[in-house]
Amino acid sequence: MLELKNVKKSYDGTPVLTDISLNIGDGEIVSILGPSGCGKTTLLNLILGIVDSDGGEIIFNGEDITDVPMEKRGFNIVFQDYALFPNLNVYQNITYGLRNNPQISSKEEVEDLIHLLGLEEHLNKRIGQLSGGQKQRVALARTMVMKPKILLLDEPLSALDGVIKESIKDRIKTIAREYNLTTIIVTHDPEEALTLSDRVMIINEGEIAQFGKPEEIIGRPENGFVKKFILNQLEIKKNNIYTLFAGQLDGQAQVC
Amino acid sequence: MRKNREIKVIFALVAVFFAGFLAVPMISVLVQSFTGGTEGVSLSHYVEVLTGRGFLKALGNSILISVCSALLTTVLAFVLAYTIHYTNVGGRYKWLISKAAILPMLLPTITYGFAIIYSFGKQGLLTRLFGRQLFDIYGFNGLLLGYVVYTLPIAFTLINNAMGYIDKRFMVVSRLMGDSPVQTFRMTILIPLLGTLATAFIQTFFLCFTDFGIPASVGGQYEVVASVLYEEMLGSVPNFGNGAVVALVMIIPSVVSITVLHILEKYNVRYNKISPIELRKGVKRDVLFGVLSGVIMAGTLCVFLVMFVVPFIDEWPYRMDFTLEHVRAVFEDSQLYGVYINSVMVAVATALAGTLLSYGAALVTARSTVSGKLKKALDSIALVTNTIPGMVIGLAYLFVFTGTPLQNTFPIIIICNIVHFYSTPYLMMKNSLSKMNASWETTAMLMGDNWLKTIVRVVTPNALSTLLEVFSYYFVNAMVTVSAVIFIAGARTMVITTKIQELQYFNEFNEIFVLSLLILFTNLIARAVFRKLAQASRNRQNTAKIYRFSAKKAA
Repeated sequence: MLELKNVKKSYDGTPVLTDISLNIGDGEIVSILGPSGCGKTTLLNLILGIVDSDGGEIIFNGEDITDVPMEKRGFNIVFQDYALFPNLNVYQNITYGLRNNPQISSKEEVEDLIHLLGLEEHLNKRIGQLSGGQKQRVALARTMVMKPKILLLDEPLSALDGVIKESIKDRIKTIAREYNLTTIIVTHDPEEALTLSDRVMIINEGEIAQFGKPEEIIGRPENGFVKKFILNQLEIKKNNIYTLFAGQLDGQAQVC
Repeated sequence: MRKNREIKVIFALVAVFFAGFLAVPMISVLVQSFTGGTEGVSLSHYVEVLTGRGFLKALGNSILISVCSALLTTVLAFVLAYTIHYTNVGGRYKWLISKAAILPMLLPTITYGFAIIYSFGKQGLLTRLFGRQLFDIYGFNGLLLGYVVYTLPIAFTLINNAMGYIDKRFMVVSRLMGDSPVQTFRMTILIPLLGTLATAFIQTFFLCFTDFGIPASVGGQYEVVASVLYEEMLGSVPNFGNGAVVALVMIIPSVVSITVLHILEKYNVRYNKISPIELRKGVKRDVLFGVLSGVIMAGTLCVFLVMFVVPFIDEWPYRMDFTLEHVRAVFEDSQLYGVYINSVMVAVATALAGTLLSYGAALVTARSTVSGKLKKALDSIALVTNTIPGMVIGLAYLFVFTGTPLQNTFPIIIICNIVHFYSTPYLMMKNSLSKMNASWETTAMLMGDNWLKTIVRVVTPNALSTLLEVFSYYFVNAMVTVSAVIFIAGARTMVITTKIQELQYFNEFNEIFVLSLLILFTNLIARAVFRKLAQASRNRQNTAKIYRFSAKKAA
């Protein structure tokens, strides 16, 4: 279980996160949702350990890891633009971490991952030859090989289009379930957050606006911000879809 | 298509210019190497030059010293750039490094030589401070020091820029994957930079190989190709045919290095996004690189320290009283002062005409739909100007324009400078123009502008900051160049750098340093002014954007 207690962070005197406390259970998929500049990426970086917090505690499975350096925490991240090494091919990227810790994943486990993510046919390709969705899958595989205790995903879907988006969503869910992996996703898209995760944390101006299950957020928005920015957007989308399918819906209604 | 007419006129003008001032002169060097100015065609000059013991020795020396200098420079430049990008030594210190590292660029190479003599020579400033001569300055050591100081700014700029384009988040990934610090360094800094490091090495090699200013002052008995060429052409027994052969030999390494650079370009690693990260704390690393950089900067600057001291002393090293007499003397000597005015004039004219030329050529390649062949032709011209050493261009002009009305005039010096430094401005312009929105011309045309109006009203205002940078580049380089103009400056058209070369024979070191200081301050001021102007023009664009945005929002 990951627990944050009164975590704060400022940059040059400007507070970015003020007093964040939260609990995330094992195997849970949690999305951190908010507009740009709300502090969600900073929160992700704090959990990962790239940046140090100015106050408060970060506790993982009962152990205080606030001052534990990034590489000792055992968490791992897939960046928005994947950060794949351009001088290595797909397979070399996926197995990159094994050069340092060969025992971390067995050959079968790597093959399982490659299969699960559908990467068999791309293994010898260079990174430049891959599409966005393929890169995302390679980055996921490379991170999963390290068997992270928590998987962090920074805007995993924002660079992808339509259908690919849905398929990557499914892969992320599958992986989290399969490995019972705590997964934390940063996103600015309410639809993505609410359809992908067990619980959604909405952040606004450095504070948690609401943290709950998707149906709670839809059913019982706790404040104006959640209503105005999150629900409104979904409402517009919903209406658009309804308008588009109006004919079909009418038709169905008549049949019934 | 109508809009291509203007473009084709520009192309024709640029092509004619380079045909006359690049192709014809270079061909004449080739012809001279066979004829030596006489009627008969023979290989005798090749035989004479290549079998002469002195030349092959000089060639070997040139290659050896250039390789050593290039290696050393690349390593030092890497240390400086690393300190800036990968340590937490503090913003001010980083700022200082970035400024100090490029300072030597603002001085003619010939000054470095004299600065070395006056710093490390028998009576030198540093020799006196240390109480003994640190090393023998004439020959290999002096050349090495001079070349390193000379090329450090270029290597630093290359590596520093490239490091700025490395995505530092890869360091996070590498650490998360369990890499050791050495592996992280190799994977996220060294490998992405390999192409740039090789480029820096080759570029500095090329500069050392073709420079004339430094061997002219501290070469001593250590003959290099540039000094052989000078000797053949302007020595006691000038031999044009042999000179042409030496010049052609000088081109070979440049052609090879530029070709290699071209190939290397393909291997440069490109990141699609640059994300700043907080660097890991590392006091040991910061101290180590802070100190190393400090030593490199101190080393560079102490070479120049003497420039600020000697001219203000009555009679170095015998009467050590402070005086402004020498400075006053230079300004009162109408001939010396006139030389300064000449230099500034030539630099301004070079910058104006050069900026216009590169802008025109870049418009053709970056903002028109003419056939790819024409664009390729312009790209190759830039490539060719990059491969030809300044000394060779100067020599070629000497062959072609002697006896014409252009001989010993300012226009010929200006044209020589424009051609010699053409490559970088052209690429800067092309780069900046091709980044602009491709639909501007069409949009403006639809709104009733003709091509020229579009260029004046839309493209030029947006290219203004680059135009200013190009202008500044041409200006500074025209102020400091020695090698390109030694063969073509006449008594009446003397510029500072050729004057310094002449003053050397009379041991007028005070004048040399005062003139060098004049160049330095002129360049410092020019750079500062153009930087401010360029910034102002960029800022204006940005505020304009913000204004439009808020106006839209309000509406």
